[in-house]
Amino acid sequence: MSMKQFLFSFLVLLLSTSLTMAQKTVSGKVTDSAGEAVIGASVFVKEAPGIGTITDIGGIYQLSVPAEGKTLVFSYTGFETFESAITGGVLDVTMQEGKLLEEVIVVGYGTKSERFNTQSVAKIGEGSIKNRPVFSTQELLQGQAAGVQMVSSSGLLGSNPSVRIRGAASITAGGEPLYVVDGVPLNDRSMSFTQGGGTGLNPLMNLNPNDIESMTVLKDASAVAIYGSRGANGVIIINTKKGAQGKTDINLDISGGTIAPTNLLQMMNTEEFDSYSNAYRSARGLPARTFPTDYFDWVDGVTRTGSFQSYNLSANGGNEKTKFFVGGTYRADEGFTIGNEAGSLSGRLNLSHKATDWLEMGANISISTVNMDRIGAENNTYAPLTSSYLQLPFVLPTNADGSYRNTGFIQNVIGIEALNDNKIDNNRTTGNVFLNIDLLKKEKHSLQFRTDFGMDRFSTASKYRSVNLFDPGGLGYRSDVSDNKWLSTNTLNYRYLVNDKSTLSFLAGYSYETSRYLSNYMEGRDFAADALRNLASAATPTAISEEGSEWALESYFGRAEYNHNGKYIGEVSLRSDGSSRFGADNRYGTFWAVGAGWIISEENFMKNQDIFNLLKLTASYGTSGNDRIGDFSSLALYGGGVTADYFGSPGIRPTQIPFPALTWEETAQLDLGINARILNRVNLQLNWYDKTTTSLLLNVPYPFTTGFGSAAQNVGKMNNTGVDLGINVDILTKGKLFWNVGLDLGYLKNTILELPEDSKDVNGDPFLNGVSQRAVVGRSLNEFYLVRANGVNPNTGDFEWLDVDGNPTTTYSAANRVYVGSAIPRFTGGLNTRLEYMGFDLSALFSFSYGNFVMIDGLRFTDNMGSEGFNHSSDLLDYWKQEGDNSFAPSLSSSTAPLFNQRSTLQLQDGSFLRLRNLNLGYSIPQSLLGGQNVIKNARIFVGGQNLWLLKNKNFRGPDPEVSANGPNNRVQGESFFALPQARVFTFGANVTF
Amino acid sequence: MINKLYSFLLITGLVIFSTSCDEDRLNLLPEQSLDESVAFSSVASARAALNGVYSQSQLLEVFGAQPHTIEDYMSDNTEFVGSFPTLQEIFQYITTTPNISIQNSWQVHYRVINGANLVIDNVANISDPAFNSDVENELLGQAKFLRAIVYLQLVNQFAHPYTLNNGASLGLPLVLQGFTGQVEFPARSSVAEVHAQIVKDLTEARDHLSAINFNQGPARASAGAANGYLSRLHLYRGEYQQASDFAKLVLDDSNYAPAADLKFYNTQNSEWVFVVGMTAVDNSRTGSGGWASYHRPASQGGRGDCAFSASLEAAFDEEPGDLRYALSDIVTAADATMRRMTLKYPDGAGNSDDAPMMRISEMHLNRAEALAQLNGVNQETIDLVNPIRVRAGLTPWALSDFSSKEALVDAILNERRKELCFEGHRRMDLLRNGKELREGNPSSAPGATRTVLPIPQREIDLNPNLEQNPGY
Repeated sequence: MSMKQFLFSFLVLLLSTSLTMAQKTVSGKVTDSAGEAVIGASVFVKEAPGIGTITDIGGIYQLSVPAEGKTLVFSYTGFETFESAITGGVLDVTMQEGKLLEEVIVVGYGTKSERFNTQSVAKIGEGSIKNRPVFSTQELLQGQAAGVQMVSSSGLLGSNPSVRIRGAASITAGGEPLYVVDGVPLNDRSMSFTQGGGTGLNPLMNLNPNDIESMTVLKDASAVAIYGSRGANGVIIINTKKGAQGKTDINLDISGGTIAPTNLLQMMNTEEFDSYSNAYRSARGLPARTFPTDYFDWVDGVTRTGSFQSYNLSANGGNEKTKFFVGGTYRADEGFTIGNEAGSLSGRLNLSHKATDWLEMGANISISTVNMDRIGAENNTYAPLTSSYLQLPFVLPTNADGSYRNTGFIQNVIGIEALNDNKIDNNRTTGNVFLNIDLLKKEKHSLQFRTDFGMDRFSTASKYRSVNLFDPGGLGYRSDVSDNKWLSTNTLNYRYLVNDKSTLSFLAGYSYETSRYLSNYMEGRDFAADALRNLASAATPTAISEEGSEWALESYFGRAEYNHNGKYIGEVSLRSDGSSRFGADNRYGTFWAVGAGWIISEENFMKNQDIFNLLKLTASYGTSGNDRIGDFSSLALYGGGVTADYFGSPGIRPTQIPFPALTWEETAQLDLGINARILNRVNLQLNWYDKTTTSLLLNVPYPFTTGFGSAAQNVGKMNNTGVDLGINVDILTKGKLFWNVGLDLGYLKNTILELPEDSKDVNGDPFLNGVSQRAVVGRSLNEFYLVRANGVNPNTGDFEWLDVDGNPTTTYSAANRVYVGSAIPRFTGGLNTRLEYMGFDLSALFSFSYGNFVMIDGLRFTDNMGSEGFNHSSDLLDYWKQEGDNSFAPSLSSSTAPLFNQRSTLQLQDGSFLRLRNLNLGYSIPQSLLGGQNVIKNARIFVGGQNLWLLKNKNFRGPDPEVSANGPNNRVQGESFFALPQARVFTFGANVTF
Repeated sequence: MINKLYSFLLITGLVIFSTSCDEDRLNLLPEQSLDESVAFSSVASARAALNGVYSQSQLLEVFGAQPHTIEDYMSDNTEFVGSFPTLQEIFQYITTTPNISIQNSWQVHYRVINGANLVIDNVANISDPAFNSDVENELLGQAKFLRAIVYLQLVNQFAHPYTLNNGASLGLPLVLQGFTGQVEFPARSSVAEVHAQIVKDLTEARDHLSAINFNQGPARASAGAANGYLSRLHLYRGEYQQASDFAKLVLDDSNYAPAADLKFYNTQNSEWVFVVGMTAVDNSRTGSGGWASYHRPASQGGRGDCAFSASLEAAFDEEPGDLRYALSDIVTAADATMRRMTLKYPDGAGNSDDAPMMRISEMHLNRAEALAQLNGVNQETIDLVNPIRVRAGLTPWALSDFSSKEALVDAILNERRKELCFEGHRRMDLLRNGKELREGNPSSAPGATRTVLPIPQREIDLNPNLEQNPGY
C-alpha cells in the first residue's frame, strides 16, 4: 500500500470515527446529468468541514451530520461543486459536469472520461452535425476531424465517398474504416451496380444524420486494437440519440433549399464546332464537311436547379427507470442533374429500461428506406452530364413532332431520363437488443455483464427498363441484393476503485458475427410495348443469375486499464479473431496494443501555474488488421455461368489462382500525443503517428500471358507517417458574445517500403502497375506516372512534351513517362468557427486539401482535336495561328495535333483547394417574442449554404478538384472521367422544441 | 444475489451454447465456384472446362468482332466513323502503346490460351470410368484447335507477316502450359516459331478429331476446320502447294458445300466450316457489344462505327449488280453522317450473330489463288471462283478473260475482298502479298510500324523479357 493510499484510508477512518458524535443521518444518491452514479464523490458538511464521506460504487452516501450542519457540499473532479440545504433524511443530488473538462468519449466497447483517455480519438458532436443538409453521413467527417480525409467521389446524390483515417493502410484490401452503430458493425460491401466510374452507390446512405448524437473516430492502435482484424483502417463509432430523464422534448426540424452545380465545363456550340472542324479539315488537307446548323445546349438541357426538403420529428424523455428516443425523418432530394432523385424515410426507437437496480434492458432499432432514381456518371455514355459534354452540338434531342430521338452511341440522355426506368430501393434495418446485469456492486467493486444481440439487414432492389427507342425491342433487368448480418457480443466489465483517484478496470468479451450475401439478377428483352415495364412481359430472357456468399468472424477480446492517482494511466488491449476469409492454416490472428498517459498538470510542480488547466502526454503502440478481401480469396476457383457456357452447354473456367497461405495483413502503429487545455480557452490535441502495414494483402498484377490479371498475395510493406493537430479556441466567452474557432489539420506522408520484386521501373524500384498512377517503392501508393506536357511552342505551333531528361520533344511516347506527383494530399483538414450574439448564431466550416493531384480523364475526349464523333472543349478554339501565339492547343496542321489529347500531364490538375463547405446563420427567437405560451420551448430559424465558395488553382481544368471516380478503391485515387461537380446548396429552415 | 447469479449463468450458458467455438462456423465454402481439384475430376466437368474455353473466345476481344474490326480499320475496306479514341488512333495510324482496347484484346487472348492449356494439361488427370481414348481425342482435339486459332489471330495482329522475311520478325510469347501459380516472364518467339507451333497444334487437332470422326456442326472444332486453318496459314506463308492441298481436303469434305444464296449468315448452313456460335443469351456482349454493334446504327442497337470505305464502294461499283453489295444499307453513323454499312450482322440488340470464322467459299478462293500462283492462268482456278461470282449475281469468268498470272491473282484478290469483306481477312490478304494496306500510303506498307499493333505497354512494363515492336 502506497503512502497515498494509506493516507486516504486513514482519512476515511477518521471520517468514520467522527460519525459517532453525529446527531442525525442523511443519505442519498449522487448522480450525473445522465443519471449515472457518481462514484467517489466527496460529500462534506459545509458548517463542519471535517465531517464528510465519499460515495460508493452505486453513488450512495450516508453521513451523520452534527446539529449545526445545514448544508452539504458535493465535489468531484470534473464536476461543478454543488451545495444543497439539508431538508430531511434523504438528499439525492444531480451533479453537473464541469464544462469541457469532463466530457465522456466513446471508445471500443465502452466509454471513458476524456480527461483520462490515452487513446487517440476525434469526436464529432451533435453541434457539428445538426442542420447540415448532407445526403450521406460520411460527408459530416470532412474537415471536422484531424487525420480524416473524406473525398466525395462526385456531386451525385448517393455517390460513394472515400474515407481514409491517417492514410490508406492497405493497397488492395478495402480501405474504408469500420462503422459501428450502437455496437453493431455495419456491412458496407457494394450493393449496387456501378453505372460509370469505378464504384456503385454509397452503401451507408441509409444512415440518417438526424439520428446521430456523436461520431467518434478511433485512430491509434490503442483505440483500434480491440477491433482486431477490422481495426487497421480506423473505426468510426456512431452513437445515436438516447432519451434522458426529465420532461419529454418534442423536436421538429424543417429545412429545405435549392441544389445547383458549382461548376460546368464550356463546350463548343454548333457555329464554333463547324468553323473549328472545317478549319481543322482544311489545315490537314481533308475535304470540307457541311454540318447541320441545328443547335442544342446539352449541358443546359441536363442540368437544373434542384431542391431538397427535410422534415425531422423526434421526441426524447424518460424517467428514472425508462428512457426513450423516438424519431422519424422524411427527406426528398432532387439533384442538379436530370433524373437524379431520392426520397428517404427513416424511423428510430431507442429505449432502455431499468427493471431492477441490477438489471437493465433496451433496444436501439432503426428502419429506413431510400428510393433513388439513378443516373449514369463518369465514363458512361448514358450519364447525363458526361454525355452532355460529349454530344455533338447540332444533334437535337427531339424530332419536329416533339418525340425523342435515338442519337446513337452518345445517347440522348434527355430522352433516356424521360422514358427509361433506372431505380434502386435501399432498405435497411439495423438494431440491437441488450441486457445489462450488475453482478456485483459493492463498495469499491463493480462487475457488470452485458449481452448484446445485433442485426444489420440491408437489401437493395434495382430495376432498369430501356424502351424500344434506345434498345430495339426493349430491355429490362431486375437485381435484388441482400446482405444480412447478425452478431452476438458478450462482455464482462469489472471496475475496482482503488481510492478516490485511482481505478483499475478490466473488460473481457466474446463475439460471433456472420453475414450472408445473396444476389439475384434477371434480364430480358423484346417487349410488345414500352408500357409493359416488368420482365414478365419480355419474350427473351437473356440472363439469370443467383449468387450467395457468407463469412463469419469469431472473436475474443479484452482490455485492462489502470489509472493511478488521476496522473498515470496505463492500458492494454487484446483481440483474437478467427475469420472464414483466410486460408485454413492462418485462420486466427491476434492483435494487441499498449497505451500510457501522464497528466503532468496534476503533478505538484505544476500546481502553482495557471497556464495549463490540463497537460497530458500519451503514447501507444500496437497492431490491428484488415479482413477486407473477398470471401474466398485463398482458393483456386473455377466459375460457371454465362462467361463459361457455350452454345447451350454449361461450362466452367478458371477464375482465381490459389493462395492457401493467405494470411492477415498487419498494421503496427506508434502514436505520441499531447493534449492540453490552456488558459481555460484553448484546447490543443497534437499527435504524431508512424503506421506501418506489413504482409500487405496485395493483388499483384501478373503479365497477362499467365492467363490472369492479378492474384492475391501477402507481400509488401507500406508506411504512413503523419501529424494530427486539433486546436479549438474560445476567443470570446464572456457576456453576450461567444466566439469559437477550431482547426483540424492532418499532415500525411505515405511511403511504399516493399513490393514484389518481379516488376521494376526504369529506376529499378518495384512498382504496381496502373493506367495513370502506380504504387512505387520509395514513393507513394498513388503516384502519377505520365508523360509531361510542355505546352505549345509559340514559334512552331507544335505541341511539345518533355522527354525523360526534360528536353522538349514533338514525339509522344510512353517511354517518356516520369513520376509527376501523388494523388495523396500532404495536408487535409478544416477550419470552423462559431459566433453567437443576442440570439444570433453564425457558424462556418471550411475544408481544404493541399499537395495532391487529380486526373481528369474525360479531357482526353473533349480535347481530341480531330474527332467529329463528339464535341470539343471550347478551350480548343484557342489554337496556334501564327508565330508568337501563346495558345492552348497546337496549330491545326501540326503533326502533334492528333496526339495532343494523349494521356499526359495535360489532364493532370493541381488538386489543392479550400472550400467553404458549410455556412449557417441562425436566430433563436426569444421567449418574449413567442408570447406567453408554454407550448414552444425553443424556436430557431436559419439560413445556410453548402459549397458556397471555392479556392482552387487558377489553371484547374475539370469539373471539380474533389473527385474520385473509383470511390473507396485505394489503388486508384484522385481520378475521374467527368464527375458531377459538388452541389451548391442554399438552405433555410427552422428548429422548434415543444 | 442468488437470482442474479442464476440469470448470469443462464444467459452465459445460452450465449456460449449458441455461439460456441465451432470450427465449422469458420470453414465456409464458395457457392458458385468449384475448387480446382474438382474441375477435372470427371468427364462432364472436363467437357465443361472445354466449353469455358469456347465461351471466353466468344468475347468481344477475341472472336467477338473487335480484333477483326481493328484489322479492317488498319486496311482499306472500312472507315472509322465512331467515337472510341482507341479505335480512332489505330485507324489514323497514330496508335500508342497504352491503347486500352489492344491491351484488353491481348489479355483475353491469353486467357483463352491458358484455358486451353489447362484442358490439355489436365486431360491425363481425369479419373472417371467414363474416360477413354475417344474422350481424350475429343478434348485434346478441340483444345489444341482453339489454342492454334487464337495464336494465329494474335500473331497476325502483333507481328509482321511471314512473307516479309520468312518469319524472322518478333512473334509472340509462346505459353503452352496452364498457369499453376508460378509467374513466368516469357520472351517473344519468332513468327516462324509461332507458326510452327500452330501447324503442330492444328495437325494434332485434326488427327485427334478425325480419329473419332468428330463433327458437331460448325460451332465446334472439326478435322475439316483444322484443315481449313492449315490452308489459310500456308497461304499466309506463301506456301501455295500446301495451301491448295489443305483447301482441297476441305472442299472434298462432304460436311461442307457452298450455300445457294447469301442468306447463310448466322445459320448452321453447310457454307460454314467454323463459326463461334452466339445466341441472345450467350454472346460476346461485355458492355461494348459484338459484331453488329460495329456494323449497325444506334437505332438498331449498335453504335454505327464501321462504314464502307470509298475504296470498297468503288470496288463494288466496278461491277454493278453485285448481290453482296446489296447486303448493306445506308444508315446514320456514330458521327451523325449517313453511311453505308454491312447487313451481314443484323442483330444489334441481341448480339446473337455468329462469328464468321471460316466458310467453304474461302477454301474455293484459297485454292484458286494458290493454284494461280503455282500454275498461272488455269481452268481449275476459274472453276473454283465462278460459283462464288454466280451466287453474287455476276457473270462467270472465262479462261480467256485473263492474260497473265498477275492479272488473275489480282482479280481473285479483288473477288476475295468483296466476298469476305467485314469478316476480318483484308489486312492479311494485302500484307501477305506485299501490298500496302492503303494504296499510295507508304506508312501502310508491309513492315511499316503501325501495320502491326504494339505490345501493350502494361505487358512491357511488367515483363522485362518482352520486346516491343520496332518503332513503337
